[in-house]
Amino acid sequence: MNRLLLIDDEPDILRVLSRSLRSDGYEVLTAENGKEGLAVFQKERPAIILTDIKMPGMGGIEVLKAIKKKDENAEVIIITGHGDIDNAIEALKYGASDFINKPIRDEALSLALKRAEEKIRIREQLREYTVNLEKKVEEATRELRRKTNFMAKLIRSSNDGIIATDKHFTVVLFNPSAERIFGYRAEEVVDRMPAKSIMPKEIIESFRGESTGDDQRAELPWQETTLPIKDGSRIPVRFAGTLLHEKDQVVGSVAFFQDLREIKRLEKEVVHAERLSAVGETVAGLAHGIKNILHGLKGGSYLVDIGIENEDPDKLKTGWEMVQRNIGRTADLVLDMLNYAKEREPEYETCRPNEIVEDVASLVAEKAERNAVSISLELDPEVGELVMDPRTIHRVMLNLASNAVDACIFDKNTGKQWQVQLTTARNGADMVRFAVSDNGSGMSDEVKKTLFTSFYSTKGHRGTGLGLLVTRKLVEEHGGRIEVESTLDQGTTFTVHLPARPADGESLEEDKPQFSGEEESK
Amino acid sequence: MSKKVLVVDDDPDVRLFTVTVLEQHGYTPLEATNGEEGKQMIKEDRPDLVILDVLMPRESGVRLYRELKTDKKLRDLPVVILSGIAEKSFLRSQKALTEFGGDPVPEPEYYLEKPVEAEELARTIQKILG
Repeated sequence: MNRLLLIDDEPDILRVLSRSLRSDGYEVLTAENGKEGLAVFQKERPAIILTDIKMPGMGGIEVLKAIKKKDENAEVIIITGHGDIDNAIEALKYGASDFINKPIRDEALSLALKRAEEKIRIREQLREYTVNLEKKVEEATRELRRKTNFMAKLIRSSNDGIIATDKHFTVVLFNPSAERIFGYRAEEVVDRMPAKSIMPKEIIESFRGESTGDDQRAELPWQETTLPIKDGSRIPVRFAGTLLHEKDQVVGSVAFFQDLREIKRLEKEVVHAERLSAVGETVAGLAHGIKNILHGLKGGSYLVDIGIENEDPDKLKTGWEMVQRNIGRTADLVLDMLNYAKEREPEYETCRPNEIVEDVASLVAEKAERNAVSISLELDPEVGELVMDPRTIHRVMLNLASNAVDACIFDKNTGKQWQVQLTTARNGADMVRFAVSDNGSGMSDEVKKTLFTSFYSTKGHRGTGLGLLVTRKLVEEHGGRIEVESTLDQGTTFTVHLPARPADGESLEEDKPQFSGEEESK
Repeated sequence: MSKKVLVVDDDPDVRLFTVTVLEQHGYTPLEATNGEEGKQMIKEDRPDLVILDVLMPRESGVRLYRELKTDKKLRDLPVVILSGIAEKSFLRSQKALTEFGGDPVPEPEYYLEKPVEAEELARTIQKILG
């Protein structure tokens, strides 16, 4: 910055001026004519050039033009004669930074130099800024590219299926997990398929506000549904969706999908394994039951033998009945075993639960009467025709009702008026509560604990030990739950909650009581 | 007078079987359907032998057997256990009860695991009662 070139054909001026400039701290290069000046400029490249305008040979304007040609940033200050305005203006036209008049006054000179320095400084700064800016833009671009790549990788490697659409709900993004879940390749979907042929209708309707006519809902929380996939089957998924906005305008949507096939399969497997292990535990218990039955069969055939030997038809009859009874017990045991080990989907149909419960009551009535147990019914008329599995209701209620009668028979307190009550109650639109209570022997906490979990019979020869296990399994397969309340010596109440659907008019497929694995709904 | 044998079992088929065997061999059968009833009949009817089941409602065979074998007046009354429960399990429960603070009880004279042939049952009774 503090190097300058001074060109003047008058040696005195050159000498005086350069001395005063040097004393101001400048490093001064000098030349006595234009040509020499240009050579020095070429060699030393000073940032500021002071040149006289009138010189023999190459004039100041020529020098200015030549320097500007070589370096347009060079600051050239022209020294003009007093009042030589025309020349000064011409010099400015060719890019001179400033001009000063002769005789040169110190203030004018230092002002011109300051301006030139300022210009150089500003230009320098500007250049630095520009370089910086370019660097920054480059950095930002690189960062953006990196982030975009990262996002793309994230989307690609996401375990969730991700589907994005534009504002017309045409698919624009279909990641590999979506390919895996839906069975389509991205090329088949992107820009080709409308979202509604892939996404659950809940998403589309909610985003379009079609289902209710309400405003569009921007966020759809996680929920489960079943979806058709390419091969035509339906699979269970969990999904969530978001409408994408930009300044109040919908620009598209994105939805996330989780494949629940594996989870559902594992859930089923765990339940199945639990059941099998219960069956395993049961084998030990079963051995006892089977020994008793075999003993009964041996007894029966012994009586038959004696009847034949002694020609005693009464013994023969008793013996044969005993054989038959124990064949029946074998059948009960085996059927309970099979029912427990087997998977069964409920078969939903229109039925009248109250009538089923009445039927159950009449089935246990005889045994109850023989043992001085009275049966009462409390049936809610609101429980009319419903879509449920009538076989489930029947088996469950029969199991519980005969248990209840047994609990009375087993009661030590023979002073009691034994009662078994069967109750139904409508519990909202889609639930029915069934209850069986007795005032019989009740259960200790210990018995209650093992009640639903493993083979356990408190009934000696009468129970297979599987009744309640089967009951609970049936209830759960119907999407319901079973509860027990019991006090020792006071009685027991079993309550069963089962989901139901109204029978009239409504579509059977739309709202099943639960996800049941029946995939073929329309 | 023929000897009296008390059958204690909650299963009517088992009682019928045992009673028939007893009748066929000239004994007088008595029947009880649980431990409580059995205890009462032992005191009142003074049988010569008890054939006892293990798993029964109200009072089990485990408890009745203990009560008999720790009662000075009744401990010499012979008992045959006739059960679907294995002998090991029966002895284990008795041992547990003894450790829990009860008096030690002797092993039963005879232990028959169901199912039992009529001949074996008859042979066992005859060995005890002659």
